[in-house]
Amino acid sequence: MDALILTENVLQALAAGILVGSVYGLMCVGLGLIYGVMRVINFAQGDFLMLGMYAALYLFTGLGLGAALGPYLGPAVATVLGAAILYVLGVVLHQTLLRRVTGIRVAGTESEGHYPQLILTLGISLILANAGLIVFGSMPQSIRTPLSASAWEIGPLVGQNLSVFLNKARSIAFLVSVVVALALFLFIARTRLGKTLRAAADNPEAATYMGIDVDAAYRVAFAIGVALTAIAGGMVATYYPFQPYVGLEFVIIMYAGVVLGGFGSIGGAFWGGLTIGLVQQLSTLVLPVQLQNAAIFVVFLVIVLVRPEGLFGRSAERI
Amino acid sequence: MLSVERLCVAYGGLRALIDVSVEVGAGQFAAIVGPNGAGKTTLFKSISGIVAPVSGAIRFDGQDLLAIAPAARAQLGIAHVPEGRQVFKALSVLENLEMGAHPLRARALWARNLEQIFALFPVLAQRRSQLAGTLSGGEQQMLAIGRGLASAPRLLMLDEPSMGLAPTIVDQIFERIRGIHREAGIAVLLVEQRVAEALESCDRGYVLESGRVVLEGTHDTLIRDERVKRAYLGM
Ligand SMILES: Nc1ncnc2c1ncn2[C@@H]1O[C@H](COP(=O)(O)OP(=O)(O)OP(=O)(O)O)[C@@H](O)[C@H]1O
Ligand SMILES: [Mg+2]
Repeated sequence: MDALILTENVLQALAAGILVGSVYGLMCVGLGLIYGVMRVINFAQGDFLMLGMYAALYLFTGLGLGAALGPYLGPAVATVLGAAILYVLGVVLHQTLLRRVTGIRVAGTESEGHYPQLILTLGISLILANAGLIVFGSMPQSIRTPLSASAWEIGPLVGQNLSVFLNKARSIAFLVSVVVALALFLFIARTRLGKTLRAAADNPEAATYMGIDVDAAYRVAFAIGVALTAIAGGMVATYYPFQPYVGLEFVIIMYAGVVLGGFGSIGGAFWGGLTIGLVQQLSTLVLPVQLQNAAIFVVFLVIVLVRPEGLFGRSAERI
Repeated sequence: MLSVERLCVAYGGLRALIDVSVEVGAGQFAAIVGPNGAGKTTLFKSISGIVAPVSGAIRFDGQDLLAIAPAARAQLGIAHVPEGRQVFKALSVLENLEMGAHPLRARALWARNLEQIFALFPVLAQRRSQLAGTLSGGEQQMLAIGRGLASAPRLLMLDEPSMGLAPTIVDQIFERIRGIHREAGIAVLLVEQRVAEALESCDRGYVLESGRVVLEGTHDTLIRDERVKRAYLGM
């Protein structure tokens, strides 16, 4: 009987880990795309996630999407619309600020422009978090639907006693994240624009000789990276309460995932995020919930010590 | 077709090009030779817009190139095969060629050009799905030239295509370059340290030293010039 309960708990944690891990995977892909193409360490990524959450929330409630489209489709549509807004914000931020410290003009300069980039993205992060506090207030919010408190039952699996429950909100978030991540991989691998982004990442100088506008390519990559993380944010918002400082919590998860995946590899970033989700959920079997994030870091440190190139990274590959 | 007029370029305080003038007529083969650090690559980078000159003018078909954004210059029909090849290492051979065909004009001619590039360098066809970073140096040079040709250029600029390659491969590559010039009628601007080979093929040559054109002339005048013979041809 004890063995049965243990099995059930492990399966339950595995399932939850895969569900939330895939959402982490998508946010990591957003960060990984920006790093992979532009070589920019973006500290503001957590705050774009936060803005994605609020954008989805206000579109969901403001446009009455819940009533119009129901609890399954409503949050997803609000999230995608919110991500479109964040895409535009990404374009504007790149055009006005990031363009000045990235691309050909910093290639070959001391530190390849990393110091100004760090200071700039850290500044953007602080401004967004504090502006969020002023505009949205500090009260935790969430996109409330009945789904966050209900589950699908898989089973009974063995005899009559073993079932795994999949939280509905998390399951929808999982589906959306996997579909969006797959679409991005196809876009990067197959389309001409995707190849252009990879070429601009690989060698900005040669890309310019080919007639590729490297700034424009970086702008697209940055805005897509922001939008992807915003989609992950909108999905998290359906099952997790948030406030304007929530970015800090998630930026840590994102960096852990991207480093695990081998910095710069987009596919690796997804698997890195998934690993973080699994570690986080499995740790609840043996650790109090408050130590979840500590568990992430222990595993993170161990993996980085044993495999500095990341779990899924190949040193020769960039994105 | 291309005319560089009294170009001056400086890196910080260091003057890399001083009053350099170079002409390439339509369908012509021009060569620029000179020792390390003479400013040859700098001249190419100025034509492509990666380096901004201090003064002087660059015209292509009478248009002021300096007024055109660097990424828009490939659209005019200028292909730059850079020093050190600079292929896109993480892209496949075919994807590299596709990136060469970035100008809209070139995309329309893609199928025909690809066939010609593969005929010129059959090894690229065999290795079309291999990552460019895993090609040998000679194969990467062929890919870099193929990538330039994929843009359907009217002017092909080659910066030391022989660099770091074995003599037999170099001969092969020079022969292909001459072929491209003869058969496709593409104008070629070649930078080389292998002076004999470069001067042999060219209609017009320039000797660049310490940022200045110290000698220029037709093929015949240059190979008969005593200074060239002594300094570069080892005669
Ligand atoms: N980015 C740069 N910053 C500062 N100085 C530079 C830069 N690039 C080139 N130089 C200097 O400009 C001069 C000309 O360099 P360039 O690369 O054009 O020479 P080159 O003729 O192509 O030489 P090589 O045959 O060795 O390729 C050299 O003295 C070089 O040190
Ligand atoms: Mg050079």
